[in-house]
Amino acid sequence: MNIFLSKKIAVVLSILVIVGLFYKLAFSEQEVDFNTQVKPIINKKCISCHGGVKQEAGFSLLFQEEALGPTESGKPAIIPGDPDGSELIRRISLNDPEERMPYKHEALSEDEIKTLRQWVSEGAKWGEHWAYVQVKKQNVPDYNEKWIRNDVDRFIFEKLDEQGMKPSPEADKSTLLRRLSLDLTGLPPSAALSEKYLRDNSEKAYDELLDGLLASPAYGERWTTLWLDLARYADTRGYEADRSRNIWKYRDWLIKAFNTDKAYNEFLIEQLAGDLMPDPDDAKLIATSFHRNTMTNDEGGTDNEEFRTAAVMDRVNTTWTSVMGTTFNCVQCHSHPYDPFKADEYYKFLAFFNNSRDEDTQSEYPVLRGYSSEDSLKLIKLTGWLKTNTSEAHARKYLMFLKTWQPTINSLQCDQFSNAALISSWYAGLRNNGSCRLKNVVLENKTELMFRYKSNYNGGKWSVYLDTPGGKLLKTIPLANTKGEWEITTVTIPQVKGRHHLYFKYYSPLIKTSDETGVQFDWFRFDTDFPGKGKPGYVNALADYNYLMRAKVDETPIMVENSREQFRPTHVFERGNWMVKGKQVTPGVPGVMNPMPANVPMNRLGMALWLTDKKNPLVARTMVNRLWEQLFGYGIAETLEDLGTQGIPPTHMELLDHLSWKFMHDYNWSIKRLLKEMVTSATYRQSSSVNEELLKKDPNNKFYARGARLRLSAEQIRDQGLEVSNLLSRKMYGKSVMPFQPEGIWRSPYNGDKWNLSEGEDQYRRALYTYLKRTAPYPSMITFDGGARESCIPRRIRTNTPLQALTSLNDSTTLVMSRGLALRMQQIGGKNLTRQISKGYELMMYKPISAVKLNALTELYQKAMLRYRKDKPAVIKIAGEKEKQVSAETASLVLVAGAMLNMDEWLNKN
Amino acid sequence: MKDSILTQKLIKEAEQASLQYYTRRHFLKESAMGFGALALGSLLGSCGTDNAPPANSLFDASNPLAPRPPMFPGKAKSVIYLHMAGAPSQLEMFSYKPELAKLDGLDCPQSLLEGKKFAFIRGVPKMLGPQANFRQHGQSGLWLSDNLPHLATIADEIAMLNAVTTDQFNHAPAQLLMQTGSPRLGRPSIGSWVTYGMGSENKNLPGFVVLTSGGNNPDAGKSVWGSGFLPSVYQGVQCRGEGDPVLFIKDPDGMDRDLRRASIDAINKINQDQYREYQDPEILSRISQYEMAYKMQISVPEVMNINDEPAYIHEMYGTEPGTTSFANNVLLARKLVEKGVRFVQLFDWGWDTHGTSASGSVDIGLVNKCRKVDKPITALILDLKQRGLLDETLIVWGAEFGRTPMQENREGKDMPFKGRDHHAAAFSMWMAGGGIKGGTSYGETDEIGYDIVSGKTEAFDIQATILNQLGFDHEKLTYESQGRPFRLTDVGGKVITDILA
Repeated sequence: MNIFLSKKIAVVLSILVIVGLFYKLAFSEQEVDFNTQVKPIINKKCISCHGGVKQEAGFSLLFQEEALGPTESGKPAIIPGDPDGSELIRRISLNDPEERMPYKHEALSEDEIKTLRQWVSEGAKWGEHWAYVQVKKQNVPDYNEKWIRNDVDRFIFEKLDEQGMKPSPEADKSTLLRRLSLDLTGLPPSAALSEKYLRDNSEKAYDELLDGLLASPAYGERWTTLWLDLARYADTRGYEADRSRNIWKYRDWLIKAFNTDKAYNEFLIEQLAGDLMPDPDDAKLIATSFHRNTMTNDEGGTDNEEFRTAAVMDRVNTTWTSVMGTTFNCVQCHSHPYDPFKADEYYKFLAFFNNSRDEDTQSEYPVLRGYSSEDSLKLIKLTGWLKTNTSEAHARKYLMFLKTWQPTINSLQCDQFSNAALISSWYAGLRNNGSCRLKNVVLENKTELMFRYKSNYNGGKWSVYLDTPGGKLLKTIPLANTKGEWEITTVTIPQVKGRHHLYFKYYSPLIKTSDETGVQFDWFRFDTDFPGKGKPGYVNALADYNYLMRAKVDETPIMVENSREQFRPTHVFERGNWMVKGKQVTPGVPGVMNPMPANVPMNRLGMALWLTDKKNPLVARTMVNRLWEQLFGYGIAETLEDLGTQGIPPTHMELLDHLSWKFMHDYNWSIKRLLKEMVTSATYRQSSSVNEELLKKDPNNKFYARGARLRLSAEQIRDQGLEVSNLLSRKMYGKSVMPFQPEGIWRSPYNGDKWNLSEGEDQYRRALYTYLKRTAPYPSMITFDGGARESCIPRRIRTNTPLQALTSLNDSTTLVMSRGLALRMQQIGGKNLTRQISKGYELMMYKPISAVKLNALTELYQKAMLRYRKDKPAVIKIAGEKEKQVSAETASLVLVAGAMLNMDEWLNKN
Repeated sequence: MKDSILTQKLIKEAEQASLQYYTRRHFLKESAMGFGALALGSLLGSCGTDNAPPANSLFDASNPLAPRPPMFPGKAKSVIYLHMAGAPSQLEMFSYKPELAKLDGLDCPQSLLEGKKFAFIRGVPKMLGPQANFRQHGQSGLWLSDNLPHLATIADEIAMLNAVTTDQFNHAPAQLLMQTGSPRLGRPSIGSWVTYGMGSENKNLPGFVVLTSGGNNPDAGKSVWGSGFLPSVYQGVQCRGEGDPVLFIKDPDGMDRDLRRASIDAINKINQDQYREYQDPEILSRISQYEMAYKMQISVPEVMNINDEPAYIHEMYGTEPGTTSFANNVLLARKLVEKGVRFVQLFDWGWDTHGTSASGSVDIGLVNKCRKVDKPITALILDLKQRGLLDETLIVWGAEFGRTPMQENREGKDMPFKGRDHHAAAFSMWMAGGGIKGGTSYGETDEIGYDIVSGKTEAFDIQATILNQLGFDHEKLTYESQGRPFRLTDVGGKVITDILA
């Protein structure tokens, strides 16, 4: 080695040592910070034996009161201010492996011991993890470089500066155009927007493009796609037969909410508790379908309570994961091992969700009964009549009943079956002389029994007894033969006081065999008579009521709360086992979080108001982090699903808090305004080119010295392909569609449902409208990292696999797109091949094609021509029979278009 | 200029890397010796984050399927898991219960019913004696019913687990528990865990292949080979006997191999140009994925084609090319493990013998189903043995639960045929090959096969044993999700050491 060089190195090294010493001196004068210095040591080295599940020797480091409280020995292990008297410090400093902590594990390093010692001597101050501390207004760093466009850039620049890095220049216009459009609308820009933007070289061009994109209806579709992952939206129910679920109106609600820029707090309140808001309209009820996307199990013989419980727990977990970026589900078995949540707090929170009407029924009750427009008018008329002639309360009650058939008692609540059964775990069915029990029914002041049933026999009689199988007869009710159709019938019942167990018996003299089911019940309703008797118009009103309750409707599962009579107590499940019920709990929020706001009800609505309280430390941060991830590829805190102590800490904490503060206080929860701030930043507008040095220094672009370059989502890839090939239908809303899918994907047992190809433009709808069957999702979606949405998907992990290549090469959808694109290339490019290819490329990328790319595609074309000139049948197969110009030229161009649809730059945003 | 030379070099190496067929030894040798490969490796392998928990360090986004050595040298290199979806009756196959015959037709004693839940049995069912004759076979004296005449000839290869138990008595949740370690949807399947742990040996074939027969997917759908919270690249790839063997493996009609080659060449050239401009290593990765796709288009149909197998093999397995059958799938499984596929998962649907129809009965339908699997399974073991592969191939046979010693009386009715309800408390599974001690059995049940007496074996134990045979400590193969490390065996699992060689 060159001697001068080694001398130089020695000098540099000694300078480094000196600087290091200074740094260390300066550093140790600073107080130890619990969150960044102490908690990581505890989490890594101590907590698995001393906190949460295990509390060896009665010592836990999870909560302050535990850490400083007495241990099994009677003495505390930490005495603030006295490291030498603290057992904790003694034990970690020992050499004897029998006594030294961590027991049977590697000893703490000297630095770690020093940190803990200093922490104890400074008073063992506890600190709350950043994510559980209320968001504060941030000071914007004072940078005014030319590069900077808004405050986002000031935070970014500060960190770059610290790292000795420089931002990249702005990406070229064509790249920005495509990037912004895909990010905001999930689609390439419309011709009008792109032409205008590319022509206009003024500063305002970008802003106008941005406004145009934000105003596009496609905007709502794109952001709905994100929310569908969080809401675990699917068109089926999950599990065995995985039957269809009619819940697409919720998807449409989301599109409208995003397009109208519904404030994020309202957006959440309506989804979590729209049904509990005053006089909810249909839209607010549909919003609550958010939590009806839980799976239900129809399989015969399943315990409905088990799967109801599973759904309720999923609602708790989804609420925390999607909206608060917290892994709350750990807490269902034990106190959180790392974060300050106690097991009881899980069940207190669960109590908010435990009183919804759903009971894992086959019929998906409760549902919103969507009336035809004609019937809706009738409903309005009837409600008006009730308001005028009876009372507001009555009007509200009957409106709710007609819209939801609630409150009713599902027949699956029956038990003690004798010569009767809960058929397929769905409906109570009775054979001749069969009986069963319905527990604990409030009969006080009830004068009417309404029930939904079906029967195939004449002469049936249903007797209802009070309290015991042979108890007092309440009523014998003749049951007509409904010929297997469900029907609703109402009978009057004598007035009885209090609550009673009811015993049902069924008999029909016309049933001769012992194993025929005579009657099946769906639900029961014990109520007072329809009000307003004697008032003008009563007869018509009653007739309308009877008509509407049976009218043909479109049903969407929604949330409806239990009536007081149906209240369900909530218990802690011992060790997370729902069969072992511990103590009863009432609704409440975890102690580490903001308290419930004053004067809110202790139900789902109150919980939603708590969640959207500006004091809630997690909700704004989680959403800001999520939106950032959608634009930049990674969250400011990478683990979107876990902002807790085990998550990856934010790279730019102050920026996260700055945007979160603005989101709540300055932007009034407007998502569009928040996105606008992000995408107008210079940070966002950088070129995504990278060089070796930058790649080495910051491989994952954590410091944002360049723009994001990311593979598009499964949905974006499909949508832009359809768009560029002129096939995309811009039809919005409605039932999910079934575009082409290979044979044999759906093979659910006990379910004859078929993938029925959609017709016409429904073949070419945006991907978010594609029917999603949980146990057999659309193949290309799954290949490109979409999920089956069995539970909340807080983040998609991007992969790069050969199956993706096969899909985008060979899926017949690609062939159809290639034909469409080739046709456009011929239309715009005329007869000249170079022009065709160049114009096609410009359609896709908004910029001229490079010579290398043009050559590669021209070569492919020529190779194809050699083949297709001689092979007419192959030409027809590739170019399609329907095309007018079935020529070797067209077929070759289709191949070229297919290759273009596989370009990396096309599959990415650049 | 300097830049562009480096670029060229990188692209060339990316192409080379993807063009070569690596056995693991090759791979290790090359990366240890070839400086270029190392440089590229460090370039491509830089997607992990500094702060990422080490638990997930096996996942390398740029090359997620790179072959990786297990934690310790395992006895088995691959697994063939034969799952009989619907749950066959152990009482007509493996579990010899002469006492049950004596109780045939009698009311089930109340003591067996109290506090128990069944899927369909209501009230008081009748006991149902074994509907098959049993005999002892091999040196080990293994009891097998006459429904399994072929398996009887290789009884000494098998380690029988007599006392398997589960807490799930419905198909979908029970299948999920057996295959993913949780009765709820959303966890990775065994094959996904294995692929995550070991990568894929054969670069031209998926590491985890699924084959189904019996006309339906298993009750829990594709989730039983899903990747759950693991990256989707680890999910099982379903290969099919009819239609494309792998979805989208076939070029569109009218395109031949030369044109496909030409089109991939064009795509790669364009992408190389793009790389020159952006220098994003992901672009290189995409180039190699397209190369791999091209090779899979040849290798997958090749391996999925059983036409060229010799006649004696077809005779041995009872295979009929061109159809979808369990026998065909078993033969395919052998071909796949021969080619280095790590985990081959078979599901055969149609074992749910409630007695509602002849095909769903334990005395008719079950006999027919046994006939369809007995011969090919036996052939598989013999064939692997003659190829010297049995020692390194673990075979697991099982289902999601067993069937009751009582006759089913759905909704209190007598069934038209002899059937048994789902039974979670006690059933049989077996393993062979891959470091398993043949001719052993483990665990016992009571005299009517209702409950377990000793050697309790849970899904977690089976999973722990499978991972152990491959060289993994089931407690250490973890993945960080939602803030905590998850493992296949949740908080349970012990390796069944009694059956290990």
